[in-house]
Amino acid sequence: MTDLPASSAGSANSAGEQADGASARPMQERLVWLADHFKREWQIYVMLAPMIIWFLLFLYKPMYGLQIAFKDYSIFRGIVESPWVGLEHFETLFNNSQFLRAVKNTVIISALSLIFGFPVPIFLALMFNEILHALYRRTCQTIVYLPHFISTVIIAGIVITAFSPSAGIVNTIIGWIGIEPVYFLIKPEWFRPIFIGSGIWQEAGFSSIIFLAAIAGVNPSLYESAVVDGASRWQMMWKITIPSIMPTIIIMLIIRIGNLMEVGFELIILLYQPATYQTADVINTFIYRQGLQSGQYDLAAAAGLFNAVVAFVLVMAANSVSKRVSRTSLW
Amino acid sequence: MRHLTLASALLTSMAVTTPAIADSHLMIVDDPLELTVHMHHKRYPAYDEDWPVEQEARRLTNIHLKNATVGSNTDNSGEAINLLLASGKLPDIIGTSRIKDVVNQYGPQGAFMPLNDLIEEHAPHLKAFFEKRPDIKAAISAADGNMYYIPYLPDGKYGRAYFIRYDWLDQLGLDLPQNVDEVKAVLEAFRDGDPNGNGLKDEVPYFARQWEELIRLVTLWDGRSSGSDTYHDFYVDSGQIKHPYAGEGYREGVKNLAEWYAEGLIDPEVFTRGSSAREYLLSENLGGMTHDWFASTSGYNRLSSEIDSFVFKAFAPPASISGKRIEEHRRIPIKPDGWAIGGTNKHPVETIKYFDFWFSPEGRNIVNFGVEGVHWTMEDGKAIFTDAILGTGRPVNSQLYELGAQLHARGYFQDYGYEIQWSNEFALEGIALYDEGEYLIDQFLGVAFNEDEQAVYDKYWPSIRTYMLERQQAWILGTGDVEADWDAYMGDLDKMGLNDVLAEMQSAYDRQYGS
Repeated sequence: MTDLPASSAGSANSAGEQADGASARPMQERLVWLADHFKREWQIYVMLAPMIIWFLLFLYKPMYGLQIAFKDYSIFRGIVESPWVGLEHFETLFNNSQFLRAVKNTVIISALSLIFGFPVPIFLALMFNEILHALYRRTCQTIVYLPHFISTVIIAGIVITAFSPSAGIVNTIIGWIGIEPVYFLIKPEWFRPIFIGSGIWQEAGFSSIIFLAAIAGVNPSLYESAVVDGASRWQMMWKITIPSIMPTIIIMLIIRIGNLMEVGFELIILLYQPATYQTADVINTFIYRQGLQSGQYDLAAAAGLFNAVVAFVLVMAANSVSKRVSRTSLW
Repeated sequence: MRHLTLASALLTSMAVTTPAIADSHLMIVDDPLELTVHMHHKRYPAYDEDWPVEQEARRLTNIHLKNATVGSNTDNSGEAINLLLASGKLPDIIGTSRIKDVVNQYGPQGAFMPLNDLIEEHAPHLKAFFEKRPDIKAAISAADGNMYYIPYLPDGKYGRAYFIRYDWLDQLGLDLPQNVDEVKAVLEAFRDGDPNGNGLKDEVPYFARQWEELIRLVTLWDGRSSGSDTYHDFYVDSGQIKHPYAGEGYREGVKNLAEWYAEGLIDPEVFTRGSSAREYLLSENLGGMTHDWFASTSGYNRLSSEIDSFVFKAFAPPASISGKRIEEHRRIPIKPDGWAIGGTNKHPVETIKYFDFWFSPEGRNIVNFGVEGVHWTMEDGKAIFTDAILGTGRPVNSQLYELGAQLHARGYFQDYGYEIQWSNEFALEGIALYDEGEYLIDQFLGVAFNEDEQAVYDKYWPSIRTYMLERQQAWILGTGDVEADWDAYMGDLDKMGLNDVLAEMQSAYDRQYGS
């Protein structure tokens, strides 16, 4: 009785290859093996459970709600009762020049922060690795990690003060060389450099940890034999360290590309002004203004869905390119 | 019963309180009745049965509210009410800030109970109030003509006013500016005359905590910046709904403000200095003039102990280019905050009677001042705070919130008497000045859309607003020229659907207020 469903499932799997009787035996053995396996390794599965439950609850279950992107959503009627409207919200979005501008800005800001922001933690990690004095090295690391732990609101306050035309340190410094104060925060052309720069300042140090870990994992015997062969530190870095951590770099790059459409919009909301929307308004801030502030959850869901689809395509593309070129990939 | 009411009336008029007998006419039910309540406001994210004001109301009415607030972990009332609605189970009473749009949208779908008949039959105080104030009744009605919530109604008219450093004027030998040209001359003198006497040209002639208060100055060129106490709002011009940022006066005003900005008459950092601007610029002896709230701004005269002869007082609105003196900002008579009856409430009659209780003279005193005999006493027919409130040295309003009084997530009619008792003398002097001149103008109290109108508004308005603000800042900052851009700007607004939005608002307005 117990192995009846199992055997039929087995026959479905091996459709057309073997007779029922032949597949039933290995299936039973496999079940026994599975039971043994669970008995032996159950602690591991218990540890895994919270993560799986988290995924189901917070990532898979909400996907059900995505349908409101295609509905005229009323909170009170609920997801099921709200009437379908097809692609109306997407039409509204793509006929809105501000949405298209937000898409463009998202891509530009993300691409620029990838180009300028991605290499910095790698440089930092390589530099830390070259510092031999332990105390000095730890001090430097702490200093560059610190901004990561400051809340975004404070970061925005620091940025606004630093770039203020009357009291800001930046204008004070450029004042010494005789340049008139610039009101950086309301100039569209300065928004991206300031935003990307403050992002690097905040996160580069902390992101370098993963590369430091990768460097620590490089087999020391490689360096020992390089020293024997008379390699300089510079050569060791280029010929041993960087190639050894390349898989880590590639994986991190793919993950970054997957998050390309996810610009940290809290900082943008705190820093932008109508005067800088032109360069600063990204999809997420657009959704915030258009969707959440005015309660249009359906439209916001449509914009979010579009965002997710683009991100998905990007990460798939990055993964397959990387698989072909470097043979390193996420899956 | 009749004789009890008579007795209580007598007792109240003699200002003697023997509560058990005197107030029994306020009893709504003989046996205690429990009702569930969602009450959310960023100052008090849940209902608290132990608030002294609530205990008093419970004793007087026999209605017991039980806390059923959803989303107490957020201070965003909008999120909390949305969570509540999405849960599908509404408590008997729902009170929150920003309730108006929610009830007007979901009331007709059945989430909230229409109140008109209930008020007519069971709520004499509310009925009397709405008969006296048909404008308020119209303003809170939904598109289907029903009222779905009882609002918090602020009392007192005055909000913001023009403030200037009187001592700087004296020092530079200038009079109070009476019109827009004189304002400009004064600001120039502040910029060039070194009124703070430190030898540096560091004065900031006009500043504002909210950059929108810079735009407010377009009223000096007969423009408008908003029709209500919400920034960038529509306004009504002899029955016609218009938007201030599409008017000729606005164009003229922005052109001039851009010049003022370029000449350094306006805080160069006005867009980013933010809420600390007033505190910083006044205490550093840098700021000259602003447009801000009476009470809190007058409070800065305490700086006179640190800065010699510091006087920062209100002055009458300067005359515009056409000679009109207006103060565009005032306290709005109705807030979109208040409370409503859930669609599944089994005791609507008792609930409306409970709502009515807070509009009775007794209830109104309790909600405004706290518990009689403890927090206030009746003197000459007026509630006067006792030392328990005034003697602590802490801000009176925050003390009242802790008692459960002055909660805006409850429908009640504020009594300005509560505020006047602790207003600073400079504020009262300024208010008297504004009272005398009658500078206030009528406010746009908002419209309730039906579903079709709402759809048009939602589709076009957020983008139009964004575009308007972008152009506005660009013009002020000088990255665009309002004169050169104006025709294209108006064309863009039309293309973006401004006229459709205005047409929908007009039809809603006519339906609601009668054209």
